[in-house]
Amino acid sequence: MTLALKELLYSKGRFIMIGLIIVLISWLVFILSGLGTGLSTLSTGVLSQADFTGIVFEEGSEYSLSKSKISGSLSEEVSAQEGVSDTAALSTFNTSIRKAGTANSNEKITDIVLIGIAPDSFMEPDLVEGNRWNGSEENQVIADISLENEGYAIGDSITFSGTDKEVTIVGFTKDQTLYHQSSLYVSMDKFRDIRFPNAESANGIENVVSGIAVRGEDIDMQALTEPGSGIEYGTKEETINAIPGYVAENATITMMLWFLMIISAFILGVFFYVLTNQKTHQFGVLKAIGGSNGFIVRSVISQVFFLALISILLGIGLTSLTVLILPETMPFQLEAEMVSIYSLVLLGISILSSLFSVARISKIDPLTALGRAE
Amino acid sequence: MTGIQLKNVTKRYKENQFEITALEDVSVNIEAGEFVAIVGPSGSGKSTFLSIAGALLKPTEGQILINSNDITHFDEKKLSSVRLNQIGFILQTANLIPYLTVLDQLLIVKKMQGSVSKADRIFALELLKDLGLANKENKFPNECSGGERQRVAIARAFMNDPDIILADEPTSSLDTKRGHEVVQQMAEQVKMRGKAAIMVTHDERMLDYCDRVYRIVDGKLTEENHLA
Repeated sequence: MTLALKELLYSKGRFIMIGLIIVLISWLVFILSGLGTGLSTLSTGVLSQADFTGIVFEEGSEYSLSKSKISGSLSEEVSAQEGVSDTAALSTFNTSIRKAGTANSNEKITDIVLIGIAPDSFMEPDLVEGNRWNGSEENQVIADISLENEGYAIGDSITFSGTDKEVTIVGFTKDQTLYHQSSLYVSMDKFRDIRFPNAESANGIENVVSGIAVRGEDIDMQALTEPGSGIEYGTKEETINAIPGYVAENATITMMLWFLMIISAFILGVFFYVLTNQKTHQFGVLKAIGGSNGFIVRSVISQVFFLALISILLGIGLTSLTVLILPETMPFQLEAEMVSIYSLVLLGISILSSLFSVARISKIDPLTALGRAE
Repeated sequence: MTGIQLKNVTKRYKENQFEITALEDVSVNIEAGEFVAIVGPSGSGKSTFLSIAGALLKPTEGQILINSNDITHFDEKKLSSVRLNQIGFILQTANLIPYLTVLDQLLIVKKMQGSVSKADRIFALELLKDLGLANKENKFPNECSGGERQRVAIARAFMNDPDIILADEPTSSLDTKRGHEVVQQMAEQVKMRGKAAIMVTHDERMLDYCDRVYRIVDGKLTEENHLA
């Protein structure tokens, strides 16, 4: 152990070079992972942040809320199914908003996703600013904090395109985005008022909602979702994967991440191997004076471990500094859990890549210490 | 008995279809407190002799006994432990570890045996003092002269308190004056600490320090009448 540290300190230049590679790789890995999490929240936040087990959709909607219309009165039937402990109606509508009283077309229009929920249901988001809405006050809405960057504040009145309905922002929530747009939560009644101003637009469905979110364990929806029943059921995972673009987006970033890891494993492996080869004679001397393979291998691995650990910590530090200078609108979210997972993977890869060298070390003949072949 | 014994040792190498005999029926017996030199031209089998005596190489035939203990058929792991605990190697060009200080060069031997105690540290400093290296303990090898490096290597060989000291051309990189100093100090340490020592050399000036001299030619070992 001390042998490893002493060499690290003595041959600083050489090890700083390798360390720098690990720092840069881990930096890139953390930024990519932050960007990946940020993008996936932007794409799926409303669903991925909520705590539910699955959603009941209209048959044929392919687990997509925007394609689905069912009657809210199904809730009772859904609640009666095996394993269901709670239900919450949910509606979504892509529309755009602008500040009230600015009817002239010069005023900025922002695309949003309007989310209708029943107040006090489990789909209601947590607030980061402002007050909870008052159930009896239909015109109150909760907005995602990202709307603050668009110039909206608590107390602002807003109108929707195509209607003259007006609502007021009473609170902000965070990470509640869907289809890469900020969300605006309204009560279900107000939602219907905005989305379906007349009965025809709701296809004549009574109490229309997009879907019914379900909570519970070991849920069995078979009885309700037989073909022809007009309903289908998707788990939380299926629902999130059905969000347009999400799977492709996520897969791209994940693929980049793992390719980066694999490439780094090879680069580091080659580096350590060259380093070991350079030290063949030295290891030969250690063996000649009685050093066992285990002693030398332990020393090499602990060296790689320290080097990788310090470099990864530096990478984390650099990433946190990067976060400070990123623009606020950039979808970037660094999760402690992801950082620790990727740190461990990088650490593992570094040690794994030194195993080539370990195999080489055990083959070094202590005779090389004599420095001549006879 | 203590010391090292080689009994009828033969070493043959296969090179393509030719067989080369590097050592032929070599028998030698060196007791504790004896300082023996092996001289001979290059290619005569000196290194092979040293490698076999130093548990680095196995003989084709014959036996090696260290303190009457037959190590001929030990596996690599056991040989490594013999080298660590019973043999002190002094190599051609000192072969110190570049990133360790003089003191650490000695302590690494103890570290390989397990752990370094306070007594080990005191013993190491004492060895360095005996070899005229006091105040050099925090220097790195590249800050030492050639003679100093070779003396560090001698100190390192004694560090594990071995039964046998083996030196491979310890003076090859030194001038005459330094060479004499180094071999003289080596001889003193061998006598003082009662070790069986073998020095392989082609440097005939150094033979005065030795109790016996063997000459090796084409793998055959013969004792010389020593003038002293």
